Amino acid sequence: MGRKKKKQTKPWCWYCNREFDDEKILLQHQKAKHFKCHLCHKKLYTGPGLQIHSIQVHKENIDKVPNALKGRDNIEIEIYGMEGIPEEDLRAHEKRLAGKDKDDSDIPDTVKVPQPPPMGMPPMPPMGMMPNAPMMPMGFPGMPFGISSMPLPMMPVPMMQQLRPPMPMVPTAPGNSPNNLLPPVPSKPLFPSGATDNNNDGHSSSNLTTMASAAAAISNLSATNLGSLPGNRAKIEPVAGTAKIIHPDDDISLEEFRACLPKYKQMMMPQQMQMPPMPVGLSMANFVRPPMGGMPFLAPPPGFAPMGFNGPRY
Amino acid sequence: MIPSFGLSSAAPSNMTATTLGQKDLEIVQPPDDAISCMKFSPASVPQTYLIASSWANDIRCWEIQSNGQSVAKAIQKHDAPILSCCWSDDGSKVFTAGCDKTAKMWDLQANTFVQIAAHDAPIRTIHYIQRSSYTCVMTGGWDRTVKFWDTRQPTPLKQLALNERVYAADVLGPMAVITTADRAIQVYSLDQGPTEYKKIESLLKYQHRCVSIFTDKSRNPNGFAVGSIEGRVAIMYVNTTNPNVDNFTFKCHRSTPQLPANTQDIFAVNDIAFHPVHGTLSTVGSDGRYSFWDKDDRTKLKTSDVVNDQSVSCCAFESRGQLFAYASSYDWHKGHEGNNQTKKNAIYFRQCFEEMKPKPKK
Repeated sequence: MGRKKKKQTKPWCWYCNREFDDEKILLQHQKAKHFKCHLCHKKLYTGPGLQIHSIQVHKENIDKVPNALKGRDNIEIEIYGMEGIPEEDLRAHEKRLAGKDKDDSDIPDTVKVPQPPPMGMPPMPPMGMMPNAPMMPMGFPGMPFGISSMPLPMMPVPMMQQLRPPMPMVPTAPGNSPNNLLPPVPSKPLFPSGATDNNNDGHSSSNLTTMASAAAAISNLSATNLGSLPGNRAKIEPVAGTAKIIHPDDDISLEEFRACLPKYKQMMMPQQMQMPPMPVGLSMANFVRPPMGGMPFLAPPPGFAPMGFNGPRY
Repeated sequence: MIPSFGLSSAAPSNMTATTLGQKDLEIVQPPDDAISCMKFSPASVPQTYLIASSWANDIRCWEIQSNGQSVAKAIQKHDAPILSCCWSDDGSKVFTAGCDKTAKMWDLQANTFVQIAAHDAPIRTIHYIQRSSYTCVMTGGWDRTVKFWDTRQPTPLKQLALNERVYAADVLGPMAVITTADRAIQVYSLDQGPTEYKKIESLLKYQHRCVSIFTDKSRNPNGFAVGSIEGRVAIMYVNTTNPNVDNFTFKCHRSTPQLPANTQDIFAVNDIAFHPVHGTLSTVGSDGRYSFWDKDDRTKLKTSDVVNDQSVSCCAFESRGQLFAYASSYDWHKGHEGNNQTKKNAIYFRQCFEEMKPKPKK
């Protein structure tokens, strides 16, 4: 470790008390150890995320976070990295640290090299694809904002290779895309997940690293604070079971559909009529009515000139 | 800076607060049928004018005065519903196009209204192009062509065949974007005459409905937002070394999932507009709401309540960024059954300079 001094609060995992050099590694650890589905090895972003995945994909109910200490295995509490840790546990941890300051027995716990990625990577491509298919027939409605150009199953591989070194969350990115993606600050209603908004739990997968660092900085009107995070999540959690696009048909635009209506269609055939029937009693008279100091409409220039439409004639 | 206008008890009826219960004002003498497109006069015009085209075949022009009062100014008509409208850069002309397959030019000073273009099917989009070496009008139609017109000549300067019907387009400075029924997105460079620049693969899986170009900090167009019928907008940069990182989509105009089955209604995004000063954007949808977003911060700034229990069909920002206008009209998203002819069509506008500012980062 190149550090001379230990930081006041090194990131640590609430589920198993292990400490890490920085939050990125902590996240990788959590995803690999606690938020990983034992059936398909898909890595989720939070405990509740894993629970939902399990139910939706495998129809299995998970009630404990894997590899967690007793008392720290509550799957409903939403922890992401250092976010979401209940205050009392934070304090308890710091006390323990203070007490054990001189004792080196904690250090072996610190994970230096990110092991998860190498482990995670090889199995990813095949796994990444599988859960996608059954889960997201449409592929989109469930997709949270910010999948930077990841039209789902399309490009998992290139994404991974490209992002692997810098982004710890990469290995799961493709696999996660159809699924529960949780931003580092789930409570902050980012794009689409406003507090009032639907949404797949306000997940975002784009640039998580920048989000993580800007987590506190994310300015958002309806941002709720972390303290109420778990409560919030519970509300937004119910992912849209069925989504319905309110639109007549996909292969025709609303305008085309409307233009087919007899009253409009007639007007499109100039040969058929001399006097275009006004659809809804268009009242030109009305338009002229308001007292405008006698400013007539459809009148010769004087009515308009004072408006001051200056500028060169085209 | 337009001084903020409040509502005084002495305000004339056209300034009465709307049922929105907000500070939004309602325009006088709105069209009698759905509003298809709205545009504010360009910044080169000292006063503020708004034009709106409608399914009642008319194009109307109002002046919005600094005290918030709207004044009906003039009206012109086509033979069929008008789908799109725009201003010339100097604010002296208005261009309209629509279901009668023609495009017309309205000289506001002379109050003449003449045909300048024709297609074989309804014209869906019309935009004015002004570059240093030429000026023309671009029309995109359901006849799968986009044509460029010198308004003085009956035949187009240039004509491009597309694979599908034009559904939306936008022009800003030297850039034009056209998107068609097959979700293809074609970017054009306009400086040396309209030339195809790049074909971009859409991030959206559903029918495109609207597109709007955005700029970088120096006001150079560098990307666009495209909205689909599936309550989603994609932000895409035309030139980026890292499209996977820079480009993204976000969901919008969707209802809160309702129990017991968590059904969610997804609505079409009818229009997108970028604030000319702050670069933040607005979206309006079939769900009847408008939302403001910050694409750089990737956050939502605000979502309105449902307006008049009716879809919002289009929106526009005033050229200096002071006002935001949105039209409450039925957009046909529920087909014929959803058409309630007793519901009025309305155009609302509000002061927006402050609320469209990006939130400061801590």
